[in-house]
Amino acid sequence: MTTAILNPSKSPSGHEPADGPLAQARKYSELFQRSEIDLSCRYPVLAFFVSGVFWLLVGSILAMLASIKMHNPHFLSDWSWLTFGRVRPAHLSTVAFGWGAMTGLGTLIWLMCRLCRTPLRFPAMLVIAAGTWNIGMICGTACLLTGYTTGIEWIEFPLWVGFILFVSFALVGIWAMYTFGARHAGHVYVSQWYLFGAIFWFPWLYATVYILEYLVPVKGVSQETIHWWFGHNALGVFFTPIGLATIYYLIPKVIGKPIYSYYLSILGFWSLALFYNWAGAHHIIGGPVPAWLVTVSIVGSMMMFIPVTTTAINHHMTTYKNFGVLRYSPTLRFTVFGAMSYTVVSVQGSLMSLKVYNEPFHFTHHTIAHAHLGLYGFYTMVLFGALYYIVPRLTAREWASSRTIRFHFWSCAIGILIYFVLLSIGGMIQGFEMNQAGDSLFKLMHSHGWWTGTKLFVEGFKYKNGAVPFIEIVENTRPWLISRSIGGGLMALGHFAFAGLFLVNLLGIGPKRQGPTLLRSDEEGYRKALQGDEGTEHDEPSEGNMARA
Amino acid sequence: MEFLPSIIMFVVIVALTGTAGWALWWAIKTGQFANFEKGATSIFDDEEPLGRPTDAFPDRKPENLK
Repeated sequence: MTTAILNPSKSPSGHEPADGPLAQARKYSELFQRSEIDLSCRYPVLAFFVSGVFWLLVGSILAMLASIKMHNPHFLSDWSWLTFGRVRPAHLSTVAFGWGAMTGLGTLIWLMCRLCRTPLRFPAMLVIAAGTWNIGMICGTACLLTGYTTGIEWIEFPLWVGFILFVSFALVGIWAMYTFGARHAGHVYVSQWYLFGAIFWFPWLYATVYILEYLVPVKGVSQETIHWWFGHNALGVFFTPIGLATIYYLIPKVIGKPIYSYYLSILGFWSLALFYNWAGAHHIIGGPVPAWLVTVSIVGSMMMFIPVTTTAINHHMTTYKNFGVLRYSPTLRFTVFGAMSYTVVSVQGSLMSLKVYNEPFHFTHHTIAHAHLGLYGFYTMVLFGALYYIVPRLTAREWASSRTIRFHFWSCAIGILIYFVLLSIGGMIQGFEMNQAGDSLFKLMHSHGWWTGTKLFVEGFKYKNGAVPFIEIVENTRPWLISRSIGGGLMALGHFAFAGLFLVNLLGIGPKRQGPTLLRSDEEGYRKALQGDEGTEHDEPSEGNMARA
Repeated sequence: MEFLPSIIMFVVIVALTGTAGWALWWAIKTGQFANFEKGATSIFDDEEPLGRPTDAFPDRKPENLK
């Protein structure tokens, strides 16, 4: 009976009235199906989301400590576990593998169910996966803060912690494959391609880097090559596909129109799959590695213009003429900000692989600013958009305060803009001065005026003598590092505001959601529609869809 | 043992490329690229159709949306 209800057959005549009982039944069937999917996702997805938000707060505190220590080195330096060398990797690991991975996986699980049009099976398996991942994160963070680290960026966790995370990820991967096999939807939407990319590629990367760095360690410069092959691809074929999958689903759904060019979106996915993993070696330009390896990575980086351009065209043109919706939709506001950041950071990333750009700015704060625009301006902002869309559908509660949402958005948006713009400038000055033959920019501007001083500075750069004393360069970057702490502080404020909003929603405080994804409220109308009642006395479900207040 | 890292890398390369190639072949075979227009609208249905926004700030009325 349930199957018949969920899949009402077409009328035998084939001429079914658009508003007839069968059409109504089909409408309620879709409503029922979506409600069932959302309800089935509730506990597993919320387990990932709650964990993700917790690690976001931990990571934000660690970020502030690390940032302040960059311009005030003695700040809280009497405790060994709070020294920069421990706090900084702990920040990276908690925000990347705690917040980024867990919230991303929660989003991935929900999207998989929605796009496969199938309720979530084996919820306990996913809750166990979330619990295992948290155990790994707690152990790993404790190791880093107590000084047990591998010393290799992006895989600082000890080997046994990496194994715990791998097992947890494998559970999610197996679940995803099963869900895909049990799907009701015939067409594989572009978001699912990206999600499958993330699911398949990450465990390969993670296992390979641990095996080749620890279990069967490669020697010499091969270690760095493998290291940055992983470091770059963790961003490019795990976080990026989840972010893009979310954008490709949320923007059309929120606006209510399909993506501008589906052809370009497919082209974007396959070109990303083809080119991204070549680009890792651009992190070691200038290093003692074979020239061909670096050249291949530069070519791969430049070829990334293809997926980036296709994605940028699609995001922009889909939103085009609907920018007004940004005033209303929290989801769209965060998501579009993330999509725009993706375009900027990707174009910048490709250009940074060119030697003329890479030479002065590599190993400076410029690179740090770039990395934050990617993982924060793009990925984190998209995840916030996803949370604003998904959580009310899981808890059946609306967000309690739109004012807090606005504060969250502006605090984070202004924070990351300050961070990116000012730290990029600081990094450029740092890079130029490290390659400078004469005095620093400030000294030259002070003694010769700003125009002549700048000209002398640029001329001096040609000689690459490194004549400016290192401590002077450090002092010159200090104001820019302070600006980073200000930007980071704004972002952290936004995070705490969001965490409060999230907690209020989970506790059931705030208006109850009035919408079609609520299973119970529409059950009666659903039955009547099946009985031939056209449901005129009931609320139109599509109206409820918008009237979430 | 000296060749073990190379063997691991070779297996990884073949497996990754192989699965990607298989996925592409499967997509073509099952007609995933046959009708792009249909694919683009596959996330919409009668209950959440084209032309209807699905998200708004809590205090904004839906009729304000264009």
